[in-house]
Amino acid sequence: MRVRARLTGELMARCWRAERALTLLVLACMAVGTVAFAGLGLASKTVVDAAVEGDLRLLVLAAVVTAVAYVVDWVVDDVGFTMRMHVVERVAQTDVEPEVMRACTDVDEIDHLERTDFLDRITAVRGRAWAVVDSAWSVVEAAALVLRLALTVALLGSVSPWLLLLVPCAGVQLVLDAAGRRRSTAAEIATSEDQRLQRHLFELCTSPATSKEIRVAGAEDELVARQQATALGVVHARARALLTAAALSTAGWAVFAAGFTAALALVVRSAGQPGGSLGDVVLAVAVGSQLRSVVQQAVGRASDAGGYGRIVEPYLWLRAFAAERLAGQVATAAPPTALTEAITLEHLAFTYPGAARPAVDDVSVTIPAGTVVAVVGEYGSGKTTLVKLLTKLYRPDTGRITVDGTDLAEIGTPGWRAVTSAAFQDFGRYQTTFDEAVGLGDPARMASREAVDAAVAAADAGALRSRLPAAGASLLGSRFDGTELSEGQWQKVALARACMRTRPLLFVLDEPTASLDAPSEHEIFARYMERSRRLARDCGAVTVIVSHRFSTVAGADLILVMEHGRLVEHGTHPDLLARPGGGVYAELFGIQATAYADS
Amino acid sequence: MQKTVRRLCAATRERTALLALLPGAGRPLLAVLVAVRVLQALLPAATALVTARLLDAAATPGAGTAGAVLLVGAVLLLGQTCSVFQRPLVTLVRGRIDARHRADVMRLLTRTATLDVVESAEVQALVRAATADPREWVEKTPAEGALGQLSVLVRWVGLVSTAAVVAAWSWWLVPLLVVPAVVVRHLVRGQWVRHFRIWVDGLPENRRAHYWGELTSAPAEAKELRTFGLGAWVVDRRQRHLHAQLDDVWADDLRAAREKWWVLLAAVVPLGAAFVVAAVGTTRGHGTVGALAGLLAAGWGVFSAVTGTGDALMVEGARPVVRAAEALRARLTEPETETVPGAVREIETETRHVPGTATAPEPAAPHVRLEGVTFAYPGSSGPVLRGLDLEIRPGELLAVVGLNGAGKSTLTKVLAGLYEPSAGRVTADGVDVRAIGARAWRRRVTVVHQDFVRYQLSLEDNIALGQVGGDRPWPDPDAVRGAATDAGLGPVVDGLPAGWRTPLARSRTGGVDLSGGQWQQVALARALYATRAGARVLVLDEPTAHLDVRTEAELFRRLAGITQGVSTVLVSHRLSTVRLADRIVLLADGRIAESGTHDELMALGGSYAHMFALQAQRFARGYDDRLETGVLS
Repeated sequence: MRVRARLTGELMARCWRAERALTLLVLACMAVGTVAFAGLGLASKTVVDAAVEGDLRLLVLAAVVTAVAYVVDWVVDDVGFTMRMHVVERVAQTDVEPEVMRACTDVDEIDHLERTDFLDRITAVRGRAWAVVDSAWSVVEAAALVLRLALTVALLGSVSPWLLLLVPCAGVQLVLDAAGRRRSTAAEIATSEDQRLQRHLFELCTSPATSKEIRVAGAEDELVARQQATALGVVHARARALLTAAALSTAGWAVFAAGFTAALALVVRSAGQPGGSLGDVVLAVAVGSQLRSVVQQAVGRASDAGGYGRIVEPYLWLRAFAAERLAGQVATAAPPTALTEAITLEHLAFTYPGAARPAVDDVSVTIPAGTVVAVVGEYGSGKTTLVKLLTKLYRPDTGRITVDGTDLAEIGTPGWRAVTSAAFQDFGRYQTTFDEAVGLGDPARMASREAVDAAVAAADAGALRSRLPAAGASLLGSRFDGTELSEGQWQKVALARACMRTRPLLFVLDEPTASLDAPSEHEIFARYMERSRRLARDCGAVTVIVSHRFSTVAGADLILVMEHGRLVEHGTHPDLLARPGGGVYAELFGIQATAYADS
Repeated sequence: MQKTVRRLCAATRERTALLALLPGAGRPLLAVLVAVRVLQALLPAATALVTARLLDAAATPGAGTAGAVLLVGAVLLLGQTCSVFQRPLVTLVRGRIDARHRADVMRLLTRTATLDVVESAEVQALVRAATADPREWVEKTPAEGALGQLSVLVRWVGLVSTAAVVAAWSWWLVPLLVVPAVVVRHLVRGQWVRHFRIWVDGLPENRRAHYWGELTSAPAEAKELRTFGLGAWVVDRRQRHLHAQLDDVWADDLRAAREKWWVLLAAVVPLGAAFVVAAVGTTRGHGTVGALAGLLAAGWGVFSAVTGTGDALMVEGARPVVRAAEALRARLTEPETETVPGAVREIETETRHVPGTATAPEPAAPHVRLEGVTFAYPGSSGPVLRGLDLEIRPGELLAVVGLNGAGKSTLTKVLAGLYEPSAGRVTADGVDVRAIGARAWRRRVTVVHQDFVRYQLSLEDNIALGQVGGDRPWPDPDAVRGAATDAGLGPVVDGLPAGWRTPLARSRTGGVDLSGGQWQQVALARALYATRAGARVLVLDEPTAHLDVRTEAELFRRLAGITQGVSTVLVSHRLSTVRLADRIVLLADGRIAESGTHDELMALGGSYAHMFALQAQRFARGYDDRLETGVLS
């Protein structure tokens, strides 16, 4: 509770800093609206009383005030709402949303982006930062509405204490209404899975990539029928719950209307007696019928504040998470400018959160400077995890990595990254221009033509670039109607990106040629080996190639064979084949090699 | 002038078209909704009348007031009941109309004769616009537009009824209130529509901002964001796109707020004047005090009847959706290619089964020929296939190899009847497949595409959706199990929490995510299901790209066995996997460049032999020594 109160204060302060005048305007609208609301009731009463008494001046004044109150109440409500949303949206989009994005990007490691507890919270908050900001405003507004409620009650009490009986009647209605609302919310949650499913089936039928298979299978009618059944099932379930809610709410209204009618009858009866007036009847009708909506607005805004908890709680969690992780990122040692000795892995181990067994288990090996290392193994053997540890994308649970004797954990992560480059298996397909998609490999030199050209040449992507409709300025990807590339072409862009940095000490190629045909693969490998050898000469760089295809690794200086997270064999290709009794490498190599063996 | 008339006509036509959607929800339901809406519109006038009556009764000594009090209570209750029951009614009407709309869009897209028309950028843009699944507040569905249009009409009921109450006091007050009320509506509506359009104009920037924002937490991109130090750059990029959209929107917010002064004046002056006139009139004996109170309420009722603009926005937001759906219908319902009736009958009788005789022999694999097939993607510079001739003999295992971009995947789509050759033809047992009809032909073919579908449905559905329709019962559980076993899925099934019924998506209750390799086996099982359901041509496009070494080797060892009696076309760029084929063809420049068994092609010493040698070389020697000997430099 204290946390939420502090957050409300903090968010209001952020609104105040960003939009001082508009924040004041919204607050003023709330105040004026409350005055207009009370003024409307009193002015209507005065009109009737003055008309009965024949007081022309008072009557004209009251008539004008009534007109002004009607219009001002409406306009102020409208302006107050739109300006509040304006302030909320501005602060959300320029302040809170970037804060959430930085909570993702500023953490050095990537383990949080693979954890469902983190991702669920990101999903809850993303695009809804406005709700975080509005949660603060809903507290302020609920307070203003309580004031309005107090005014309403005072006005009713001034006519007749009997009218105060309406307050519990409104309470009954609200309780029944809330019960109905809970049902409809429950129905909404219960049908959300089917809602997603019908959307999925619709997308399958309307996207060309998937509809081709559906056509060949003749499955279109079946899928349309299922989509319709699912979609209508959702609609009917939700409508049923809403119908029950409506019945409950109506029952509540009947109670309120009965109370209202009875109280009104009392007011009408006393209107003819001393101390009563016809104006009281008008006031009772106007304010009495509004009572419930004022109560509902107050409760509604208060429950908004509560409902926003679904977004505010994850937001607070993310903030705390990022703050804790950033506080731990204190290593500042500079990486060496060139490798002279080795990168050494000492009893390295890493277990994914929630996993039963380690993904990397007690791996120790020395990789001398200037080496081309191949990491091989089957899916799930831990080879990609090993690479992520080397690039500091994960922090080892135990053991350590040293770079020329310095513990990698002590080297500042941005510094280590600046001397690292990588082409990952699941590379990004950036929906931007070709040149930018390459230049992203080194944002500092992104604008440099020469740097981009050199990287394009290094990855043999020049021909691809020149074939594009606007060469390097062509937008890539179909998402924004750019040119869609094939898998292999995207991979070339990723390889070019990895070549932007000219002097990396660690160069990672994760399944770099998986979708290329034989001659392209051959070509790319030749270039990469050449590049690796040059980097090795220049700065002792280590190149790590991850592959499950043995054709790509045979020429490495050192081959690491992974199985179930453990380093089971290492050595050169001839060493591993010559192992007495075979071994994992020899066996797997054999399976692929027989396909090429002379028949 | 003429232009204005034409625009008005077009707008009226669109509005009528929106209203015409309403009966789609079912007439009784619609009737109830309309009744509720009309009652709601009448409420302000009714409230004014019953208040007046109550005051007059209370002012008359000796008159009974009970009836008048009850009426006030009844009107209050009626009003609340209408507004409360509106939600379920609207949910139903909207849900039914939109579901129907979405079904129409799906049918349009899956029933075109060929795939290329659906792939065109133009059609894809229309589909995005016609989806009716709003993601932004400016996007509305056809049903929302139709309901909005209904509200616009019903508003006039409210205006007329409150004006009638005013007229009862004095007719000349009616124009004094109605004209400014309509002006105010025009002003407010104009502001919202302008705001709406500014927002819509910025949608492309909005989508880009959304995209870059998403990248900050995408697990795949996360590695590059960190390795290359891109985090701040990506956040900045998102903010740039965001401002490109929202700066204009925000400026308009402020402008609209300033313009509210005019709205205030336009409403308060006539309303105040009318109220003063009525007040003065009452003291001069024109009407009762009750009538005055009634006039006050009805006078404001005239304004409040027309000032709401949410419905106008619904109409505005739904118009692009309806327009896109119309354009799609016009684009996609061109008459299908004429079929030759005689030929259809011939094939149909051949494949028809007598119900209940599941053991009847399947029709044999057809002899398929591609004769001079040429195909070019619409809008591309040159054809992908250029006069290609290819024969697929019944029951053989044919491998198609070639470089990236040689047209291998295009060939599979032509073969499956997804693309129609621009020249040449595809025949089955001598009959043009166009004459057989696309649907009938596709029942005889099955394809494992590189980008196969991952249905978020049960494992059983995932396999049985390999072939639906025809005259046999669907799904066939035995065929599902057989196909799964053949695809090597046995161990996977054993590990699933609910067996065959387990949904293959973690987002579903009790669902699981499969690995890439497991999914590939599911896709293969799906195609094998189709072969059990009558397909006789099996096309495998890179079917083992996600499998690990052992599983791949195991699968190829068994491939010939599980495709008995089926012609298999295996597309691959990995030559080690195609050696076992009965015949290998090399695709280059849109034609078959080489054809023969592995040994024949090796003996030929052409491109295939060269490519194979290249791949094999890596196993024979490391690339180090090759570099040293200068082979590659």
